[in-house]
Formats: sequence, structure tokens, C-alpha cells
Amino acid sequence: MSDELAIEVRDLVRIFESRKGFFFSEKTRTEALKGVDLLVRRGAIFGLLGPNGAGKTTLTKILSTLLLPTSGTVKVLGRDVVKEATWLRSRIGLVLGGERGLYNRINARENLRYFADLYGIPPTERDARITEVLERVDLTWASDRRVEEYSRGMKQKLHIARGILHRPEILFLDEPTIGLDPKSARETRKLVRSLVADGVTIFLTTHYMFEAEELCPRVAVLSKGKIVANDTMAGLRSRVGGDRTIEVEAYGFEDPEVGRLKGLPGVSKVTGEDFGPLMRLTLRVRTDETTPEHVSDLLPGHAELSVRERRTSLEDIYLDLVEEEAQ
Amino acid sequence: MTALASHETSRTRATGASLRLAILLFVADPQWLVPSTIAPIVFGLVSFELFRGEGPYFLTYAILGAGMMSMWGQTLYGSGWATGQDRFLGTLEPTIQAPAPYLYVVLGRIIWNVVAGLFGGLIVYLVVVLAAGGPPQLPNPLLFVVLFVFVMVTLASVGVVFAAAFVYSRYAGFIQNVGEFAFYIGTGCMFPVVLLPFWTNPIALLFPPTWALDALRYVSIPGYTGFGWGWEWDLVGAVAVTAVYAALAGSVFTRVERHVLETGQLSDY
Repeated sequence: MSDELAIEVRDLVRIFESRKGFFFSEKTRTEALKGVDLLVRRGAIFGLLGPNGAGKTTLTKILSTLLLPTSGTVKVLGRDVVKEATWLRSRIGLVLGGERGLYNRINARENLRYFADLYGIPPTERDARITEVLERVDLTWASDRRVEEYSRGMKQKLHIARGILHRPEILFLDEPTIGLDPKSARETRKLVRSLVADGVTIFLTTHYMFEAEELCPRVAVLSKGKIVANDTMAGLRSRVGGDRTIEVEAYGFEDPEVGRLKGLPGVSKVTGEDFGPLMRLTLRVRTDETTPEHVSDLLPGHAELSVRERRTSLEDIYLDLVEEEAQ
Repeated sequence: MTALASHETSRTRATGASLRLAILLFVADPQWLVPSTIAPIVFGLVSFELFRGEGPYFLTYAILGAGMMSMWGQTLYGSGWATGQDRFLGTLEPTIQAPAPYLYVVLGRIIWNVVAGLFGGLIVYLVVVLAAGGPPQLPNPLLFVVLFVFVMVTLASVGVVFAAAFVYSRYAGFIQNVGEFAFYIGTGCMFPVVLLPFWTNPIALLFPPTWALDALRYVSIPGYTGFGWGWEWDLVGAVAVTAVYAALAGSVFTRVERHVLETGQLSDY
């Protein structure tokens, strides 16, 4: 494995088996990951997207040694996550976030001190390190307050502080901004960027497309336990048929009209959605030859016609990919 | 930020950190503080009334019965429950994910539970002495104290197993609650095991506290016969069975940790 790689996953399968019922129990088998292959380079933010139940948290937990793979090879920092879990644990950080995972009856500083000791941070450095991470997540002002008094955003910051306390080489962030107010979410993203600037590799799972688009030069889309795309933003745009998107809204379209739009130069794909009586057509456009004016000219006679152009977003790409996979 | 380079986690530090955390949580949370101080007073008074007039050594019986009841709860039950709390709070995952072996985290909690259990025992002693108007007659007070502490160690060794059960499954609390009184009576906490049907004795001897409690009664109550082989052999038996528990603890935790990483149930509560 190259030193450049932070994560190397080959043909990873994870199956969960459980029993339902007490007396006449029924065994259920769920294949959460179905042969995942993934390479992540060091020193960047890698985004993992996917709908609920796609297997994002399962993959994150396997990478962070909290779950064993059923089969396949998983290496982080060049080490096997099963055989060398102890070595890895002191070099990776994990932020699962949420309301749970903290000792609520004691303050932030004591929470961090406990984990600093479990991570073997030298006693001579411990207090300075705690002060440093509290400052970094902007929690110094509340560090002596019990965690039970914290807001959701403050708890999230404390989770991150714990995750970076031992100066990990790679940090796994599972939905770090979910449930946060916009200000806290923005601060969290800023913090993530600053960690990358310090050389930490970030593996980020998120539901928020704009967040991935803002932070991640490269993203993978996980759907039903499989990686359905893994590319840069430009690569993904090209894959779903174009950098430009033109949206047309009116009260119904005739089939010949849709056919004419499909025939426009550079248009790779036309999809339709209904919003009650209103219908929206979305055109993916590869070239500059087709403009909103061309589209309007092809649709005469619509009283309430709206045509607008925008850049193809990660959300568009994501929805296209997940839809393709579902079909 | 520079990456962590060379430090290795110290098991002693993990145990120390866990002990410190247990104390902080104990002090911060009235749900621990109140029962661990009030329950021994109630146990002491009930036991005093229960054994009053039962021969010249009834005070010793009362102290041993109530003291063990109090300490059993604190040391054995508390050790398992501390891990159950980790599950409930969602702190089990980050704790297991830390490089320190979880067994050494559990040890820190158990040390605190032993100390808290002894504190409960001391409260019982004071309550019974105050109720009786004087201390009990002890043939060998020093040996009594030494064996008293040793009983705590044997209870703690079983506590490790309970803690492992709480890592293994979120249903460990249910199992512990069901088995609570069977274990309490079966190991002779309230009264000697030899008073129970003979078939229960071999099972009881699988648990270190049974041996240690029998030894403690030998040295505290003149004329006590117990299993009939004397306190010295009781002590040998207690040390041997405790050693087996201690030797198995590392392997048990390794297997339990592997099991939960296989099933992915660490975050269930």
C-alpha cells in the first residue's frame, strides 16, 4: 500500500445477523455492505454520501475499529483494522456525535481529561492539550459547566474536541453537523477545514449535499451497501450528464415538447417531476450551445413558463445516482 | 497539528482515570450518593432487629449480614452497573474505541466500588454498635478486618464477570436483577451457606465470596463450624478461586470485546 493512502478498502462485506422474538425466534440477515472498494488519499477531506440505511455508519465504524468486517480487507494508515486495532486506535479519531456519548454529570474539562488518560497523553501535556482543544472548538468559556447544561451544538463541539484530543492522523466524522443550528454548523465546517490545513485526513459522512460540496474535493456515494460513484465534483458532474442544469416549470408539457428539448444540442438528459398541477423538467446540459432562451423558444403558448439555469449541484448528482441505483 | 507519534497507553493510567471518573460521577449524582449512605443504615437496623437475642454473638451476625448486604450491592452490583451506565450514556463506544484495554477501565471502577462498599460496611458497623450500645465481641479483631477487606476483593472478582456481561449484552441488567437474590443467598451473604440444601453447596463454592465469607464467620463467631474445614482452608479456597477469576478476566474481556465488535451491538441500550 502506498504511503499516500489513508484508507484502503477491498471487497468489504458486512452482514448483520439478528434474531427476532423470544420463543419462536426468527433469524434475520442484513447485508449492510456488499463488496465495497475504496481508496482515500492522505491529507484531504473525503466525503461519503448516502441515503439513510445505505451503510455509511457501518463503514465508518469498521474503519474506526468499532465493528469487524464479515469479509474483505480494510486498512487504515496502512494497518489492518482487525489485526492492528490497538495500534490504530491511538492514531485515529472518531466523532459519532449526537446527544449521547458524553458523561453529562461532569464538566467538559473532566470529560476530556478522562479520555486523555485513556489515550495515554502524557500527564505533563494533558492539561495544555485540553485547553488547546477547548479553545479550538470555542468551548473554553463553558469548560467548567456540566455537560448536561450544554446545547446540542456545544455537545457536538465537545465530541469533536475529544476526537482531536490525541492529535489523530485521520479523523472520522459521522454526520458532524446534523441537528445543529446554521451558525454552529458553519463553525463546525470551519473547524474541519482548519484540521485539514494541519495535515489531518478527514473522512466525513453527511446528508447535506451543500456541506459535502463545500468541504470535499472528492466524494463517494454509497447506496444499498455499494459505492455507486467515487470521483471529484467535476467527474461526478460529467458522469450525470453535464455541468449545467436548466429547469423549466409550467402547468403541463406535451410529449412532443419534451422530445424537442431532448433534441437540443448538448442536452444529455431530461427528467420530469410533478408538483400538483405544476410540472418541472430538468435538463442536464454538457455544452454552452443551449441556453434558457433556446428552451423558451421551443415552448411557445405556456402562460406561466419559468426557465432558469444553475450549476449542476451535488444534490442533483446524488439524486441521479441513487435513482439510477434504485432502477 | 502534528500527529501523535510514540506514546503508548498505560494500563495503570487507564485504571487511575477510571477510578477518578467513578469518584466524580459518584459525588455528582445523588442516585449513587443517597442509597450508598442511607441503605446501610436501614440494613443495619433491620439486621440488628432480626438477630437480636440470637446468642452472645448476635451483634457479629447482624454486622456481617447487613454489612455484606450493603457491600454486595455496592461492590458486585455496582461494578456491573457501571458498564451498564456506559451503555446507557453512549460512552461505551468511545471508551472501547480508545486504545486502553477496557478491562483496565473496569478495574478502576471496581476499586472505587470496593472502597464505597467498605464505606457502607463501616456505616453498618456504626449503626449496629450505636443500636446495641457497644461494640461486638471479636476474638481476633485484626484478622476480622483483614478478612473483611478480602471478602470485598472476592466480591470484586465476581464484579468483573458482571461488568463483562454488561459489555456483552444490553440485557445483562435483566440477568443481574434476576440472579441478584439467588447469588446473595447462595454465597452466604446474609446467613451461612451450610444452612441451605446440600446440593446448593458445590454451586456456591464456584464463587469466591462463599469461601471468604465462611472464613470471616470462622474468625468472628466462636463455635461456628461452616463447611467444617477451618478458616485457613477457606482462605486457600478463596484465593484459588479468585485467582482463577482474575486469570480468566483478561481472556473473557478479549472474547467479549470481539463478540460485540462482531455483532455491532455496542451502541444498543
